[in-house]
Amino acid sequence: MSQGTIAPPHAEAQPEPPGRGLRTKRQSAAGRRKLHQREVRGAWTLLSPYMVLLLIGGIIPIFYAVYTALQRPATPVQPEGGFGGISSFVTVFSDFRFWQTFGNIFSVLIVWLPIMMLGIVGLALLVHASPGRFGNTMRFLYYIPGALAGIANLVLWVYLLNPAQSPIAGLWNVMGLDTIKAVVATDGNLPFILAGMLFFQGIGTWIVVVNGGLNGIPDEVLEAASIDGANAWHTAWHVKLPIIRPWIGYAALMNLAYGFQLFLEPQLLDQVSSNALPDQTTPTQLGYAFAFSNYNFPAAAAMSLILLVITLGIGLLIVFRSGLFGEEEK
Amino acid sequence: MSLVKAKPQKRAKTAHQEALAGPVGSNQMSVGRVARVATMLFVAAIFIVPIIGFVAMAFRDQDEVAAGEGGVLGLGGVSWDNVVYSWSQVNGFGPGEGGLFLQWVGNSLFVAVIGAILAVVAAIPAGYALARLRFRFRRTVLFVTLLAMVMPNTVLVIPLFLEVNAIGASGELWPVAVIMGFFPFGVYLAYIHFMTTMPQELVEAARIDGLSEIGIFFQVATPISKQAVALVTFFAFVANWTNYFLPLALLSSVQGNKTISIGLQELIGASPLFNPTVAAGLNVKLYMPQLALATFLSMIPLLIVFIGAQRFLMRGQTVGAVKG
Repeated sequence: MSQGTIAPPHAEAQPEPPGRGLRTKRQSAAGRRKLHQREVRGAWTLLSPYMVLLLIGGIIPIFYAVYTALQRPATPVQPEGGFGGISSFVTVFSDFRFWQTFGNIFSVLIVWLPIMMLGIVGLALLVHASPGRFGNTMRFLYYIPGALAGIANLVLWVYLLNPAQSPIAGLWNVMGLDTIKAVVATDGNLPFILAGMLFFQGIGTWIVVVNGGLNGIPDEVLEAASIDGANAWHTAWHVKLPIIRPWIGYAALMNLAYGFQLFLEPQLLDQVSSNALPDQTTPTQLGYAFAFSNYNFPAAAAMSLILLVITLGIGLLIVFRSGLFGEEEK
Repeated sequence: MSLVKAKPQKRAKTAHQEALAGPVGSNQMSVGRVARVATMLFVAAIFIVPIIGFVAMAFRDQDEVAAGEGGVLGLGGVSWDNVVYSWSQVNGFGPGEGGLFLQWVGNSLFVAVIGAILAVVAAIPAGYALARLRFRFRRTVLFVTLLAMVMPNTVLVIPLFLEVNAIGASGELWPVAVIMGFFPFGVYLAYIHFMTTMPQELVEAARIDGLSEIGIFFQVATPISKQAVALVTFFAFVANWTNYFLPLALLSSVQGNKTISIGLQELIGASPLFNPTVAAGLNVKLYMPQLALATFLSMIPLLIVFIGAQRFLMRGQTVGAVKG
């Protein structure tokens, strides 16, 4: 790689500059190889702390899960376990809850994802169309619910869902629901409640991300559109939207992957509704139950490998197809 | 050093954009403009009103809440005395004199801080090496990092539990902190940082000056990595503090070693609102005001790091500056 531009630092084998004597060429080639070796050693030294953590936090657990999934669960009769082949996967697939949990996820996704995507794109476009203090203030306000992540968001929703003191108690009364148990466990409510919770906590950060994409649109493009007589709607629909498509795809896939691993919300909604929900609403809850209720570690490992493969597939789509990580990697 | 100054250019551009769009927008008091502003204010109200009511709840009294008093969102019933009482209940939770709440907050601080420090120590050199050094498998490492970054971290929790359990360390805090140190998003942030702020020539020049590869990292790259350090620390700390599933799987077995995220769940489970039988056996009463206060208090560290990192966060957004 020649000096000069801030070119991406790959392309390892580069041709020798022409027009040099053979002797100097050989000498400099050896020198450069030595230099390159130093660079390689330096790189791996600098990477080593991360590599150790990658092994502990990523690689080893995956291999260990594969190993565990191929074991037999320890039982009182056979406490030592042993090789069990694919029997743990059979256990998981034939569990009556397995397909149910994916069905539940699907019913949440089908409610939540369209609302989420519409909200993200719509609000990001609105913020982008409002330059100055007003737009910035709104973007900040939209971001606030996102700060209540995880369990905090759940407690907030317990407050909203409990007709005894909810600020939207009127809504629950109209629907004839007078306890939190009724609100959460009445048939058909759960996907909407979960969609609301996920929307509330996720929308703000994604508006910021998509807004970042919109801010990357060169001024000339927007100027050209307005000179051509495009109004705000036309600009948003025909100019901005096509340009930020990679961000929209990225947001959709990231949220899809997030949907597959739902755990906290259904688990705790079950707790606040006196266990009126199924104990295992989602695949992650099922995996958790295999591990911590049945102590069937092989089945728990098999379940998490199944989820891993699904989210890995989505992850590969994001990295290769979203177009966002292409620039530095091509 | 002039390289670092590259940033303000972007801000200037945004300002230019605003100047450009400002007059155009304000000249037209069109229906579209009114509709846009109205929609945005309406959405903001939907987001903010529940949060105001929830924060007010932390300052209210359970009897008034139960009686439906307190006016709009209960704002009429807020008082400091209520907070003092609610705190005595929250703090009284636990065996003997209580005090579990603060212990859980301490545990959260421990794992979140150690985890964030490990994440920074690993991410900054790794990001630099990936951005500015040439070696085999560079793209492989980058690819694995991206993949790990976009996948929800919960999918590995049960395998991680099996790993930690195999070495007999489940229920202990340090494995949680170490696992939290694995933060691929931080590596990606650092990688982008060095790609955009540190030109290759700078590395070449330092080599010609006779610096070793490690020397270049410490003497040239580290001094210009403040922005990356701040961002990685912030995102790692927030992710660690709000992490629920990992502590649940690894720490549930030892009550004194829980983090606050799973501790809050235990408080909910001990509330007479949802579990009268358990609550009857306790000498503290955790109704909605107490739960709201506990939640509110558990978020204060997040607020502090947010304020600390704010000026770094405002400088341009990195692609996908989010990890679910």
